[in-house]
Amino acid sequence: MDKYEIPPDAESRLPSNDKVTGRAARFLLGRYKIWPIISHLLDKTVPHYRHSYWYNMGGILLFLFSVQVITGILLMIYYRPAEPWLSVQRIVMEVPFGNIIRSVHHWSANLMVLTIFLHMFSTFFMKAYRPPREFTWLTGLGLAALTLLFGFSGYLLPWDDLSFFATRVGISEIDKAPFIGGWLGDLARGGPDVTLDTIGRFYVLHVTVLPLLILGLISAHLLFIQIQGMSETDSFTALPPEKKKYSKFFSDYLFGEIPVWLALSALLIALAAAFPRELMPEADPFASAPEGIKPEWYFLSQFQLLKLFPGSIELLGLVILGLVPLSFLVLPFIDRSIPADSRGRVILKLGIVAVLGLTAFTIWGWLS
Amino acid sequence: MAENENKSRRNFLGILGALGLGWIGALVYPIFRYLSPQKVPDPFGEDGLALVENINPADVARPGMGKNGGYGGRGLIVFRNKSNKLKAFDSKCTHAGCNVEFQGDKIYCNCHGGTYDLNGKNIAGPPPKPLTELGVEEKDGALYVFRMVNDKAEGA
Repeated sequence: MDKYEIPPDAESRLPSNDKVTGRAARFLLGRYKIWPIISHLLDKTVPHYRHSYWYNMGGILLFLFSVQVITGILLMIYYRPAEPWLSVQRIVMEVPFGNIIRSVHHWSANLMVLTIFLHMFSTFFMKAYRPPREFTWLTGLGLAALTLLFGFSGYLLPWDDLSFFATRVGISEIDKAPFIGGWLGDLARGGPDVTLDTIGRFYVLHVTVLPLLILGLISAHLLFIQIQGMSETDSFTALPPEKKKYSKFFSDYLFGEIPVWLALSALLIALAAAFPRELMPEADPFASAPEGIKPEWYFLSQFQLLKLFPGSIELLGLVILGLVPLSFLVLPFIDRSIPADSRGRVILKLGIVAVLGLTAFTIWGWLS
Repeated sequence: MAENENKSRRNFLGILGALGLGWIGALVYPIFRYLSPQKVPDPFGEDGLALVENINPADVARPGMGKNGGYGGRGLIVFRNKSNKLKAFDSKCTHAGCNVEFQGDKIYCNCHGGTYDLNGKNIAGPPPKPLTELGVEEKDGALYVFRMVNDKAEGA
Protein backbone atom coordinates (compact mmCIF):
# COMPACT_ATOMS: atom_id res chain seq x y z
CA MET A 1 0.00 0.00 0.00
CA ASP A 2 1.12 3.49 -0.80
CA LYS A 3 1.91 4.82 2.63
CA TYR A 4 2.53 8.50 3.21
CA GLU A 5 6.09 9.06 4.31
CA ILE A 6 6.29 11.04 7.52
CA PRO A 7 8.23 14.19 6.63
CA PRO A 8 11.67 14.47 8.30
CA ASP A 9 10.55 17.79 9.76
CA ALA A 10 7.66 15.98 11.44
CA GLU A 11 9.89 13.13 12.65
CA SER A 12 12.08 15.59 14.48
CA ARG A 13 9.12 17.28 16.21
CA LEU A 14 6.85 14.33 17.05
CA PRO A 15 7.01 12.61 20.43
CA SER A 16 9.15 9.48 20.34
CA ASN A 17 7.73 6.19 19.12
CA ASP A 18 7.70 4.50 22.50
CA LYS A 19 5.01 6.93 23.67
CA VAL A 20 1.30 6.41 22.85
CA THR A 21 0.99 9.98 21.54
CA GLY A 22 3.95 9.47 19.25
CA ARG A 23 2.54 6.24 17.83
CA ALA A 24 -0.93 7.81 17.38
CA ALA A 25 0.55 10.84 15.60
CA ARG A 26 2.56 8.61 13.23
CA PHE A 27 -0.51 6.41 12.62
CA LEU A 28 -2.55 9.44 11.55
CA LEU A 29 0.19 11.25 9.64
CA GLY A 30 0.92 8.02 7.73
CA ARG A 31 -2.63 8.08 6.42
CA TYR A 32 -3.60 11.72 6.10
CA LYS A 33 -1.20 14.15 4.46
CA ILE A 34 -1.88 16.96 6.87
CA TRP A 35 1.58 17.61 8.27
CA PRO A 36 1.86 21.02 6.50
CA ILE A 37 -1.35 22.13 8.25
CA ILE A 38 -0.23 20.76 11.62
CA SER A 39 3.19 22.35 11.43
CA HIS A 40 1.63 25.66 10.35
CA LEU A 41 -0.61 25.57 13.43
CA LEU A 42 2.27 24.52 15.70
CA ASP A 43 4.23 27.54 14.52
CA LYS A 44 1.39 29.96 15.31
CA THR A 45 2.54 32.72 17.62
CA VAL A 46 0.82 35.55 19.41
CA PRO A 47 2.65 38.87 19.83
CA HIS A 48 3.41 39.48 23.47
CA TYR A 49 3.22 43.11 24.57
CA ARG A 50 1.24 45.61 26.56
CA HIS A 51 -1.93 45.26 24.48
CA SER A 52 -1.82 41.47 24.18
CA TYR A 53 -4.86 40.91 26.38
CA TRP A 54 -7.06 42.22 23.58
CA TYR A 55 -6.15 39.02 21.70
CA ASN A 56 -8.17 37.16 24.35
CA MET A 57 -11.49 38.52 23.12
CA GLY A 58 -11.95 35.99 20.31
CA GLY A 59 -11.21 33.10 22.64
CA ILE A 60 -13.65 34.47 25.21
CA LEU A 61 -16.31 34.68 22.49
CA LEU A 62 -15.71 31.06 21.50
CA PHE A 63 -16.05 30.07 25.14
CA LEU A 64 -19.31 32.00 25.59
CA PHE A 65 -20.62 30.60 22.30
CA SER A 66 -19.97 27.06 23.58
CA VAL A 67 -21.89 27.92 26.75
CA GLN A 68 -24.78 29.13 24.57
CA VAL A 69 -24.77 25.90 22.56
CA ILE A 70 -24.80 23.71 25.66
CA THR A 71 -27.36 25.70 27.68
CA GLY A 72 -29.44 26.23 24.52
CA ILE A 73 -29.65 22.50 23.81
CA LEU A 74 -30.62 21.91 27.44
CA LEU A 75 -33.36 24.57 27.31
CA MET A 76 -34.76 23.06 24.10
CA ILE A 77 -35.51 19.85 25.96
CA TYR A 78 -38.32 21.48 27.95
CA TYR A 79 -39.21 24.46 25.75
CA ARG A 80 -42.46 24.05 23.76
CA PRO A 81 -43.13 26.59 21.02
CA ALA A 82 -46.86 25.80 21.20
CA GLU A 83 -47.04 26.86 24.86
CA PRO A 84 -43.96 29.01 25.19
CA TRP A 85 -44.66 30.82 28.45
CA LEU A 86 -45.91 27.75 30.34
CA SER A 87 -42.91 25.71 29.27
CA VAL A 88 -40.46 28.42 30.33
CA GLN A 89 -42.32 28.77 33.62
CA ARG A 90 -41.86 25.03 34.10
CA ILE A 91 -38.12 25.38 33.41
CA VAL A 92 -37.93 28.18 35.98
CA MET A 93 -40.19 26.73 38.69
CA GLU A 94 -40.05 22.94 38.40
CA VAL A 95 -37.08 21.61 36.48
CA PRO A 96 -34.06 21.11 38.77
CA PHE A 97 -31.43 23.74 37.98
CA GLY A 98 -33.71 25.03 35.20
CA ASN A 99 -33.64 28.57 36.51
CA ILE A 100 -29.84 28.56 36.66
CA ILE A 101 -29.45 27.10 33.17
CA ARG A 102 -31.88 29.65 31.72
CA SER A 103 -30.15 32.51 33.54
CA VAL A 104 -26.70 31.36 32.44
CA HIS A 105 -28.01 31.33 28.87
CA HIS A 106 -29.28 34.88 29.36
CA TRP A 107 -26.10 36.21 30.98
CA SER A 108 -23.79 34.45 28.58
CA ALA A 109 -25.74 35.99 25.69
CA ASN A 110 -25.33 39.45 27.19
CA LEU A 111 -21.62 38.96 27.87
CA MET A 112 -21.25 37.68 24.33
CA VAL A 113 -22.71 40.86 22.86
CA LEU A 114 -20.55 42.97 25.18
CA THR A 115 -17.41 41.02 24.23
CA ILE A 116 -18.25 41.35 20.54
CA PHE A 117 -18.27 45.12 20.94
CA LEU A 118 -14.90 44.96 22.76
CA HIS A 119 -13.49 42.56 20.16
CA MET A 120 -14.70 44.73 17.31
CA PHE A 121 -13.43 48.00 18.71
CA SER A 122 -10.09 46.56 19.78
CA THR A 123 -9.69 45.22 16.24
CA PHE A 124 -10.62 48.68 15.05
CA PHE A 125 -8.17 50.61 17.22
CA MET A 126 -5.34 48.12 16.63
CA LYS A 127 -6.13 48.56 12.93
CA ALA A 128 -6.23 44.82 12.37
CA TYR A 129 -8.99 45.17 9.74
CA ARG A 130 -6.63 46.64 7.13
CA PRO A 131 -5.49 44.71 4.07
CA PRO A 132 -4.79 41.83 3.81
CA ARG A 133 -7.32 41.05 6.55
CA GLU A 134 -10.45 42.46 4.89
CA PHE A 135 -12.32 39.16 4.96
CA THR A 136 -11.54 38.48 8.60
CA TRP A 137 -13.13 41.86 9.36
CA LEU A 138 -16.14 41.24 7.10
CA THR A 139 -16.84 37.79 8.50
CA GLY A 140 -16.48 39.33 11.97
CA LEU A 141 -19.14 41.92 11.13
CA GLY A 142 -21.37 39.09 9.91
CA LEU A 143 -20.84 37.29 13.21
CA ALA A 144 -21.76 40.45 15.13
CA ALA A 145 -24.95 40.82 13.07
CA LEU A 146 -25.87 37.16 13.61
CA THR A 147 -25.29 37.53 17.35
CA LEU A 148 -27.66 40.50 17.49
CA LEU A 149 -30.24 38.47 15.55
CA PHE A 150 -29.76 35.64 18.05
CA GLY A 151 -30.49 38.15 20.80
CA PHE A 152 -33.57 39.57 19.12
CA SER A 153 -35.07 36.19 18.24
CA GLY A 154 -34.30 34.64 21.62
CA TYR A 155 -35.82 37.56 23.50
CA LEU A 156 -39.34 36.74 22.24
CA LEU A 157 -39.27 33.03 23.04
CA PRO A 158 -40.32 33.23 26.75
CA TRP A 159 -43.51 34.98 25.54
CA ASP A 160 -43.90 37.23 28.57
CA ASP A 161 -45.53 40.62 28.21
CA LEU A 162 -42.21 42.47 28.13
CA SER A 163 -40.74 40.33 25.35
CA PHE A 164 -44.05 40.38 23.46
CA PHE A 165 -44.36 44.17 23.27
CA ALA A 166 -40.63 44.74 22.82
CA THR A 167 -40.74 42.45 19.78
CA ARG A 168 -43.83 44.20 18.48
CA VAL A 169 -42.01 47.53 18.74
CA GLY A 170 -38.81 46.08 17.24
CA ILE A 171 -40.53 44.63 14.19
CA SER A 172 -42.55 47.82 13.71
CA GLU A 173 -39.19 49.51 13.01
CA ILE A 174 -38.65 46.99 10.21
CA ASP A 175 -42.10 47.94 8.87
CA LYS A 176 -40.92 51.50 8.40
CA ALA A 177 -38.05 50.60 6.09
CA PRO A 178 -38.75 51.85 2.57
CA PHE A 179 -40.23 49.60 -0.17
CA ILE A 180 -39.85 46.11 1.33
CA GLY A 181 -40.30 47.08 5.00
CA GLY A 182 -43.94 46.06 5.28
CA TRP A 183 -43.34 42.78 3.48
CA LEU A 184 -40.28 41.99 5.63
CA GLY A 185 -42.17 42.82 8.81
CA ASP A 186 -45.06 40.53 7.84
CA LEU A 187 -42.59 37.81 6.91
CA ALA A 188 -40.87 38.12 10.31
CA ARG A 189 -44.17 38.07 12.23
CA GLY A 190 -45.94 35.57 9.99
CA GLY A 191 -48.80 38.07 9.67
CA PRO A 192 -49.79 41.60 10.62
CA ASP A 193 -49.45 40.90 14.35
CA VAL A 194 -47.02 39.15 16.68
CA THR A 195 -48.71 35.83 17.50
CA LEU A 196 -47.72 32.24 18.23
CA ASP A 197 -46.97 32.06 14.50
CA THR A 198 -44.15 34.51 15.19
CA ILE A 199 -42.80 32.17 17.88
CA GLY A 200 -42.64 29.40 15.28
CA ARG A 201 -40.52 31.58 13.01
CA PHE A 202 -38.28 33.00 15.71
CA TYR A 203 -37.77 29.60 17.30
CA VAL A 204 -36.64 27.97 14.07
CA LEU A 205 -34.43 30.96 13.34
CA HIS A 206 -32.92 30.85 16.83
CA VAL A 207 -32.25 27.13 17.09
CA THR A 208 -31.50 26.01 13.53
CA VAL A 209 -31.01 28.71 10.89
CA LEU A 210 -28.80 31.09 12.88
CA PRO A 211 -26.68 28.31 14.46
CA LEU A 212 -25.93 26.83 11.02
CA LEU A 213 -25.02 30.24 9.63
CA ILE A 214 -22.88 31.20 12.60
CA LEU A 215 -20.97 27.89 12.56
CA GLY A 216 -20.11 28.48 8.91
CA LEU A 217 -19.02 32.06 9.54
CA ILE A 218 -17.01 31.16 12.65
CA SER A 219 -15.15 28.53 10.62
CA ALA A 220 -14.33 31.03 7.87
CA HIS A 221 -13.30 33.69 10.40
CA LEU A 222 -10.96 31.28 12.21
CA LEU A 223 -9.59 29.83 8.99
CA PHE A 224 -8.61 33.29 7.73
CA ILE A 225 -6.88 34.06 11.03
CA GLN A 226 -4.96 30.76 11.01
CA ILE A 227 -3.80 31.30 7.43
CA GLN A 228 -2.68 34.90 7.96
CA GLY A 229 -1.53 34.74 11.55
CA MET A 230 -2.18 37.29 14.27
CA SER A 231 -2.23 40.92 13.29
CA GLU A 232 0.32 43.22 14.93
CA THR A 233 -0.05 46.90 15.69
CA ASP A 234 2.13 49.34 13.74
CA SER A 235 4.06 50.18 16.90
CA PHE A 236 4.86 46.50 17.50
CA THR A 237 5.89 45.95 13.88
CA ALA A 238 8.23 48.96 14.13
CA LEU A 239 10.10 47.45 17.10
CA PRO A 240 13.62 46.12 16.47
CA PRO A 241 13.53 42.29 16.12
CA GLU A 242 15.30 41.69 19.45
CA LYS A 243 12.57 43.57 21.29
CA LYS A 244 9.66 41.67 19.70
CA LYS A 245 8.37 38.96 21.97
CA TYR A 246 5.99 36.20 20.92
CA SER A 247 4.24 33.43 22.78
CA LYS A 248 3.67 30.13 21.05
CA PHE A 249 -0.07 29.56 20.58
CA PHE A 250 0.32 25.80 21.21
CA SER A 251 0.33 25.52 24.03
CA ASP A 252 1.78 28.44 26.03
CA TYR A 253 -0.91 30.90 24.99
CA LEU A 254 -3.72 28.34 25.09
CA PHE A 255 -2.84 27.23 28.62
CA GLY A 256 -2.78 30.87 29.60
CA GLU A 257 -6.45 31.09 28.58
CA ILE A 258 -7.59 28.39 30.98
CA PRO A 259 -7.77 30.78 33.97
CA VAL A 260 -9.89 33.11 31.82
CA TRP A 261 -12.36 30.31 31.06
CA LEU A 262 -12.53 29.34 34.72
CA ALA A 263 -13.12 32.94 35.74
CA LEU A 264 -15.85 33.29 33.11
CA SER A 265 -17.62 30.13 34.30
CA ALA A 266 -17.54 31.44 37.85
CA LEU A 267 -18.81 34.83 36.72
CA LEU A 268 -21.70 33.32 34.72
CA ILE A 269 -22.83 31.11 37.57
CA ALA A 270 -22.51 33.97 40.06
CA LEU A 271 -24.54 36.30 37.83
CA ALA A 272 -27.17 33.62 37.19
CA ALA A 273 -27.49 32.88 40.90
CA ALA A 274 -27.51 36.51 42.08
CA PHE A 275 -29.55 38.00 39.22
CA PRO A 276 -31.70 35.23 37.72
CA ARG A 277 -33.54 36.16 34.55
CA GLU A 278 -37.08 37.22 35.45
CA LEU A 279 -40.17 35.77 33.83
CA MET A 280 -42.91 38.42 33.56
CA PRO A 281 -46.63 37.56 33.29
CA GLU A 282 -47.65 35.76 30.11
CA ALA A 283 -48.06 37.93 27.03
CA ASP A 284 -51.67 39.07 26.55
CA PRO A 285 -52.23 40.45 23.04
CA PHE A 286 -55.39 42.24 24.28
CA ALA A 287 -53.95 43.95 27.35
CA SER A 288 -52.39 47.38 27.35
CA ALA A 289 -48.61 47.45 27.16
CA PRO A 290 -46.91 47.37 30.58
CA GLU A 291 -44.78 50.29 31.66
CA GLY A 292 -41.04 50.25 31.18
CA ILE A 293 -40.93 48.54 27.79
CA LYS A 294 -37.33 48.75 26.70
CA PRO A 295 -35.28 46.78 24.26
CA GLU A 296 -32.24 44.86 25.46
CA TRP A 297 -29.36 47.21 26.28
CA TYR A 298 -27.57 46.47 23.02
CA PHE A 299 -30.49 47.88 21.03
CA LEU A 300 -30.93 50.94 23.26
CA SER A 301 -28.61 53.24 21.30
CA GLN A 302 -30.41 52.60 18.00
CA PHE A 303 -33.73 52.96 19.78
CA GLN A 304 -32.73 56.27 21.36
CA LEU A 305 -31.45 57.61 18.06
CA LEU A 306 -34.75 56.78 16.34
CA LYS A 307 -36.59 58.72 19.05
CA LEU A 308 -34.85 61.88 17.78
CA PHE A 309 -36.58 61.44 14.44
CA PRO A 310 -40.30 61.27 15.18
CA GLY A 311 -43.12 60.99 12.67
CA SER A 312 -42.42 62.02 9.12
CA ILE A 313 -38.63 62.31 9.49
CA GLU A 314 -38.33 58.82 10.99
CA LEU A 315 -36.99 57.55 7.65
CA LEU A 316 -34.03 59.90 8.02
CA GLY A 317 -33.23 58.26 11.36
CA LEU A 318 -33.36 54.82 9.75
CA VAL A 319 -30.99 56.01 7.01
CA ILE A 320 -28.50 57.33 9.58
CA LEU A 321 -28.83 54.05 11.45
CA GLY A 322 -28.08 52.16 8.26
CA LEU A 323 -24.98 54.24 7.53
CA VAL A 324 -23.17 52.98 10.65
CA PRO A 325 -22.91 49.30 9.61
CA LEU A 326 -22.30 50.38 6.03
CA SER A 327 -19.26 52.45 7.03
CA PHE A 328 -17.92 49.47 9.00
CA LEU A 329 -18.31 47.33 5.88
CA VAL A 330 -16.30 49.61 3.60
CA LEU A 331 -13.69 50.42 6.27
CA PRO A 332 -10.96 47.94 5.19
CA PHE A 333 -11.25 49.17 1.62
CA ILE A 334 -10.72 52.80 2.61
CA ASP A 335 -7.95 52.56 5.20
CA ARG A 336 -4.45 51.82 3.92
CA SER A 337 -1.83 49.65 5.57
CA ILE A 338 0.54 52.56 6.00
CA PRO A 339 1.77 53.44 9.51
CA ALA A 340 0.95 57.04 10.56
CA ASP A 341 -1.17 57.48 7.43
CA SER A 342 -3.20 60.70 7.43
CA ARG A 343 -6.33 58.89 6.26
CA GLY A 344 -5.83 56.32 9.00
CA ARG A 345 -5.69 59.06 11.63
CA VAL A 346 -9.03 60.51 10.49
CA ILE A 347 -10.59 57.05 10.65
CA LEU A 348 -9.19 56.59 14.15
CA LYS A 349 -10.82 59.83 15.29
CA LEU A 350 -14.14 58.84 13.72
CA GLY A 351 -13.86 55.57 15.60
CA ILE A 352 -13.47 57.40 18.89
CA VAL A 353 -16.58 59.45 18.03
CA ALA A 354 -18.43 56.21 17.24
CA VAL A 355 -17.52 54.63 20.59
CA LEU A 356 -18.44 57.77 22.54
CA GLY A 357 -21.69 58.14 20.59
CA LEU A 358 -22.66 54.50 21.09
CA THR A 359 -21.93 54.72 24.81
CA ALA A 360 -23.71 58.06 25.26
CA PHE A 361 -26.84 56.96 23.37
CA THR A 362 -26.95 53.67 25.29
CA ILE A 363 -26.75 55.46 28.65
CA TRP A 364 -29.28 58.06 27.50
CA GLY A 365 -31.64 55.31 26.37
CA TRP A 366 -31.14 53.52 29.68
CA LEU A 367 -31.99 56.60 31.73
CA SER A 368 -34.95 57.87 29.71
CA MET B 1 -16.26 21.15 -37.57
CA ALA B 2 -14.73 22.48 -34.37
CA GLU B 3 -16.84 25.62 -34.69
CA ASN B 4 -19.97 23.51 -35.05
CA GLU B 5 -19.01 21.60 -31.97
CA ASN B 6 -18.52 24.82 -30.02
CA LYS B 7 -21.85 26.08 -31.22
CA SER B 8 -23.70 22.96 -30.20
CA ARG B 9 -21.90 23.03 -26.85
CA ARG B 10 -23.02 26.62 -26.32
CA ASN B 11 -26.58 25.66 -27.22
CA PHE B 12 -26.44 22.75 -24.84
CA LEU B 13 -25.11 24.94 -22.03
CA GLY B 14 -27.84 27.48 -22.78
CA ILE B 15 -30.54 24.83 -22.48
CA LEU B 16 -28.90 23.54 -19.31
CA GLY B 17 -28.84 27.07 -17.85
CA ALA B 18 -32.52 27.63 -18.67
CA LEU B 19 -33.45 24.28 -17.16
CA GLY B 20 -31.36 25.12 -14.09
CA LEU B 21 -33.16 28.42 -13.61
CA GLY B 22 -36.50 26.68 -14.02
CA TRP B 23 -35.46 24.09 -11.47
CA ILE B 24 -34.39 26.73 -8.94
CA GLY B 25 -37.61 28.65 -9.53
CA ALA B 26 -39.68 25.52 -9.05
CA LEU B 27 -37.94 24.96 -5.72
CA VAL B 28 -37.94 28.55 -4.50
CA TYR B 29 -41.52 29.49 -5.35
CA PRO B 30 -43.22 26.94 -3.09
CA ILE B 31 -40.82 27.82 -0.26
CA PHE B 32 -41.52 31.51 -0.75
CA ARG B 33 -45.28 30.88 -0.68
CA TYR B 34 -44.89 28.58 2.32
CA LEU B 35 -43.09 31.29 4.30
CA SER B 36 -45.36 34.16 3.24
CA PRO B 37 -47.96 34.92 5.89
CA GLN B 38 -51.42 33.58 5.21
CA LYS B 39 -54.22 36.07 4.78
CA VAL B 40 -55.80 36.96 8.08
CA PRO B 41 -59.56 36.38 8.01
CA ASP B 42 -61.65 39.53 8.26
CA PRO B 43 -62.68 39.92 11.92
CA PHE B 44 -66.09 41.28 10.91
CA GLY B 45 -68.69 38.65 10.05
CA GLU B 46 -71.36 38.74 7.33
CA ASP B 47 -73.40 41.21 9.36
CA GLY B 48 -70.28 43.41 9.67
CA LEU B 49 -70.07 42.77 13.41
CA ALA B 50 -67.20 41.37 15.45
CA LEU B 51 -67.72 40.01 18.96
CA VAL B 52 -65.83 41.94 21.66
CA GLU B 53 -63.80 39.64 23.91
CA ASN B 54 -62.84 40.33 27.53
CA ILE B 55 -65.17 43.36 27.89
CA ASN B 56 -68.74 43.01 29.15
CA PRO B 57 -71.37 45.75 28.97
CA ALA B 58 -71.09 45.98 32.78
CA ASP B 59 -67.40 46.95 32.43
CA VAL B 60 -68.40 50.12 30.58
CA ALA B 61 -71.77 50.77 32.21
CA ARG B 62 -71.14 54.28 33.53
CA PRO B 63 -69.40 57.32 32.00
CA GLY B 64 -65.66 57.24 32.64
CA MET B 65 -65.45 53.44 32.68
CA GLY B 66 -63.25 51.73 30.11
CA LYS B 67 -61.36 48.50 29.50
CA ASN B 68 -58.91 46.74 27.21
CA GLY B 69 -60.17 43.74 25.29
CA GLY B 70 -60.03 42.28 21.83
CA TYR B 71 -61.89 41.40 18.63
CA GLY B 72 -60.84 38.87 16.02
CA GLY B 73 -57.42 38.43 17.65
CA ARG B 74 -56.71 42.18 17.73
CA GLY B 75 -56.50 44.51 20.69
CA LEU B 76 -59.32 46.93 21.47
CA ILE B 77 -60.30 49.59 24.00
CA VAL B 78 -63.93 50.38 24.79
CA PHE B 79 -65.03 53.17 27.13
CA ARG B 80 -68.06 55.32 27.90
CA ASN B 81 -67.37 59.02 27.54
CA LYS B 82 -68.84 61.90 29.58
CA SER B 83 -71.81 62.30 27.22
CA ASN B 84 -72.66 58.65 27.98
CA LYS B 85 -71.63 57.48 24.51
CA LEU B 86 -69.79 54.19 24.00
CA LYS B 87 -66.54 54.61 22.07
CA ALA B 88 -64.22 51.89 20.70
CA PHE B 89 -60.76 52.09 19.19
CA ASP B 90 -58.36 49.52 17.88
CA SER B 91 -55.77 49.61 20.67
CA LYS B 92 -52.75 49.36 18.39
CA CYS B 93 -50.74 52.55 18.85
CA THR B 94 -50.03 54.13 15.47
CA HIS B 95 -46.41 54.76 16.49
CA ALA B 96 -44.82 51.40 17.27
CA GLY B 97 -47.76 49.05 17.72
CA CYS B 98 -48.01 48.73 21.52
CA ASN B 99 -51.50 48.48 23.02
CA VAL B 100 -52.82 51.80 24.36
CA GLU B 101 -54.72 52.23 27.60
CA PHE B 102 -57.86 54.23 28.49
CA GLN B 103 -56.95 56.56 31.36
CA GLY B 104 -60.20 58.49 31.99
CA ASP B 105 -59.35 61.82 30.40
CA LYS B 106 -57.00 60.51 27.74
CA ILE B 107 -55.76 57.44 25.91
CA TYR B 108 -52.14 56.68 26.69
CA CYS B 109 -49.44 54.33 25.44
CA ASN B 110 -46.96 53.07 28.05
CA CYS B 111 -44.26 52.21 25.54
CA HIS B 112 -43.22 55.69 24.42
CA GLY B 113 -45.71 58.06 26.02
CA GLY B 114 -47.94 58.51 22.97
CA THR B 115 -51.14 60.33 24.00
CA TYR B 116 -54.52 60.55 22.26
CA ASP B 117 -57.66 62.46 23.21
CA LEU B 118 -60.94 60.63 23.77
CA ASN B 119 -61.75 60.97 20.07
CA GLY B 120 -58.61 59.02 19.23
CA LYS B 121 -56.73 62.06 17.94
CA ASN B 122 -52.97 61.99 18.57
CA ILE B 123 -52.21 64.99 20.80
CA ALA B 124 -48.78 64.32 22.30
CA GLY B 125 -45.77 62.08 21.95
CA PRO B 126 -44.57 60.19 18.90
CA PRO B 127 -47.78 58.80 17.28
CA PRO B 128 -48.05 60.07 13.69
CA LYS B 129 -51.76 59.26 13.18
CA PRO B 130 -55.01 59.04 15.14
CA LEU B 131 -56.20 55.67 16.44
CA THR B 132 -58.56 53.64 14.26
CA GLU B 133 -62.07 54.16 15.61
CA LEU B 134 -64.65 51.39 15.53
CA GLY B 135 -68.40 51.54 15.94
CA VAL B 136 -69.66 49.70 19.02
CA GLU B 137 -73.09 48.40 20.02
CA GLU B 138 -74.64 46.21 22.66
CA LYS B 139 -76.60 43.18 21.51
CA ASP B 140 -77.98 40.31 23.63
CA GLY B 141 -75.83 41.22 26.60
CA ALA B 142 -72.58 41.32 24.62
CA LEU B 143 -70.64 44.05 22.88
CA TYR B 144 -69.96 44.09 19.17
CA VAL B 145 -67.76 46.37 17.10
CA PHE B 146 -68.17 47.26 13.46
CA ARG B 147 -66.21 49.16 10.87
CA MET B 148 -66.99 52.87 10.70
CA VAL B 149 -67.81 54.19 7.25
CA ASN B 150 -66.34 57.53 6.09
CA ASP B 151 -64.56 57.76 9.38
CA LYS B 152 -62.43 60.81 9.94
CA ALA B 153 -60.49 59.01 12.64
CA GLU B 154 -59.42 56.42 10.09
CA GLY B 155 -56.60 58.85 9.24
CA ALA B 156 -54.32 58.49 6.20
